[in-house]
Amino acid sequence: MKGGKQQMRILVIEDEAKTAKFLKKGLGEAGFVVDVAGDGLDGLELAKSVDFDLIILDIMLPTLDGWQVLARLRQAGRNTQVLFLTARDAVDERVRGFELGADDYLVKPFAFSELLARVRSRLRRTPTRPQDVLRMADLEIDLLRHRAVRAGQRLELTAKEFLLLTLLARRAGEVLSRTVIAEAVWDMNFDSDTNVVDVSVRRLRSKVDDPFSLKLIHTVRGSGYVLETD
Amino acid sequence: MSWKLTKVLLSLPRLWKTLAFRLTAIYALAGMCLVFVATASLYLLLVSELEKSTSLFLQDKVHVISTMLRERPDDEDALREEVELESAARQYEHFYIRLLDQQNIPLLTTPGMEQAVDLSKLVRRTGTRHNIVVPMKGKDGRAFRVTTAIVPVGGQPTRNITVEIAIDVSQKEQFLERFRLWAWAILIAMLFVFPFVGYEIARQSIRPVEEMAATARRITSSHLGERIAAEGYPFELASLAGTFNKMLDGLEDSFERISRFSADIAHDLRTPVNNIRGEAEVALARARTIDEYRDALGSSLEETVRLSDLIGNLLFLARTESPLTHLRLEKVNVADLLEGIRDYYEASAADGGIQLASICSDEPVIAELDRTMIQRAVGNLVSNAVAHTPPGGSVLLLSSAEPASIRIEVADSGVGIPPDALPRVFDRFFRVDQSRSQASGGTGLGLSIVQGIVTLHGGKVEIASKPGQGTRVTLRMPIAR
Repeated sequence: MKGGKQQMRILVIEDEAKTAKFLKKGLGEAGFVVDVAGDGLDGLELAKSVDFDLIILDIMLPTLDGWQVLARLRQAGRNTQVLFLTARDAVDERVRGFELGADDYLVKPFAFSELLARVRSRLRRTPTRPQDVLRMADLEIDLLRHRAVRAGQRLELTAKEFLLLTLLARRAGEVLSRTVIAEAVWDMNFDSDTNVVDVSVRRLRSKVDDPFSLKLIHTVRGSGYVLETD
Repeated sequence: MSWKLTKVLLSLPRLWKTLAFRLTAIYALAGMCLVFVATASLYLLLVSELEKSTSLFLQDKVHVISTMLRERPDDEDALREEVELESAARQYEHFYIRLLDQQNIPLLTTPGMEQAVDLSKLVRRTGTRHNIVVPMKGKDGRAFRVTTAIVPVGGQPTRNITVEIAIDVSQKEQFLERFRLWAWAILIAMLFVFPFVGYEIARQSIRPVEEMAATARRITSSHLGERIAAEGYPFELASLAGTFNKMLDGLEDSFERISRFSADIAHDLRTPVNNIRGEAEVALARARTIDEYRDALGSSLEETVRLSDLIGNLLFLARTESPLTHLRLEKVNVADLLEGIRDYYEASAADGGIQLASICSDEPVIAELDRTMIQRAVGNLVSNAVAHTPPGGSVLLLSSAEPASIRIEVADSGVGIPPDALPRVFDRFFRVDQSRSQASGGTGLGLSIVQGIVTLHGGKVEIASKPGQGTRVTLRMPIAR
């Protein structure tokens, strides 16, 4: 977390070495301290002995599967937040996860940016203080009056464009996937045909970025969009 | 012989299981019974009729003699003529008459009567039972019918005369014997004719069934083109053959779809994997600049996203086809839902110079639907419509309520679908544009998913299209379940 005094600790229980490797690397670069366990028993022991902030738990694991790890962890009185990863997105499986006390789930294959967003929102302990005005470089978004101004010029945005800009600004520096954007702005919960998001972002860009030399909205290839100054 | 019989008897239960055997056996049995009953009853009727005619004849004779004795008791010549000549003149059904007085002294006797029948036996047989016809064997074994009657003589009867008549019925007996012989001959002939004819009939009627079975045996997954030629079959079996053929058509069609589906899936998976592999190989072949690496990685990421989307769509399709899938039904205001989708696609439509509008009936249309799924279905349709409508065209979202169902329509003024492609648009991976290039957009799963979702809701999808004028897809789903 930006400016966090103590670093958050995350335990990844995942037997697939490559997955574990990129999770450790990615989460580490995002500022988390990451421990990895390669099977269920090791993971459970580690989870019981160290006070983690979050556990990322795979379901298909050797020695002890994800369900059992979760159940025993809760039996041991540990209330560590658990985000589970599953290759099967059957509704029953999700329901079972939540019944056992999981906090969130993600279906493989997932976008890393998506995982990062979920992890961040899980660990955001204090809700972001409602702000009336968001600022980024010379961009200013007045949430109360539904107005966006850049370099003193008022931007003519449609309602959805304003919502999109606000979303990007609120989570500035964070890569937002097309799926996340579609869900947050249009309440579309399916992840097909996300090039609709591309069109909307392009239109927003033409108003927010095109007239100015400093570009704020950036495309992260294969992942999504991010609002940042560099 | 007995061993053979045992063998046949042992195989009976097995034989009984064959339809041909059953039909033959039942037919033969029924035929035999019928012939037997017919012949037997005919024979019995004949016997009784012959018996009756004999006894009538005898009664008649007794009547004639008794009349003569009563009316003209002294006309001995007439009586003699009646007894001696009348009878002797006959060749067929010879009869003999004997008249006795009260002291049992014979008065008149037909010549040869003593040689023909044992007279004392006749007296014994009929002496106590008068006016009854009794069968008796003659001296040379020929069959006779005999009767005895006591007849009064004169107007004021003072004395009686005993009349004894014997008639030779051996010719009738012979006739009956011949009849019996014929009857047995016919029965024995039928014993062979009926099973044979029955078997032929059974075989003829079962042959189509056997042919169908043979056809069915020839059919395998690699050999689904086989059909039953039902020409000349009786109506019932022709209809069965027709049903069977229709089932085969359906199966062949499904098989074709499945194998095409497998080929398509392999193609669609192979392309992105091939891109990733090739690009990575080329990138690693020699040292590159950071930007080149970044480009290669970015490209692989894009391909991977494509793969993930494809897998996601396939899994979703599989789920819509699973009977275990539960819908998360909630009361959905269809107009709001369509408005949301219109909102989502507005930018895309505006970008393509297309007018996108949603039109709803005045009263609110509310139905129990899985919101996310219906969003996805209608979204897919709008996405297709926008992609295939040239600038200046329009895409309309319409909703209305029918008594028990709701209707959602997506109509565009786009390029339309050629009539020959129309029946296949719901097939997985089917693209009207056969070039299969990804640039033409979509995975070819969109409409399959729409159909899957609507079917899951217990509804139906209809598509109508005219090339150059546009396409209209109608979703019809029950309001509640």
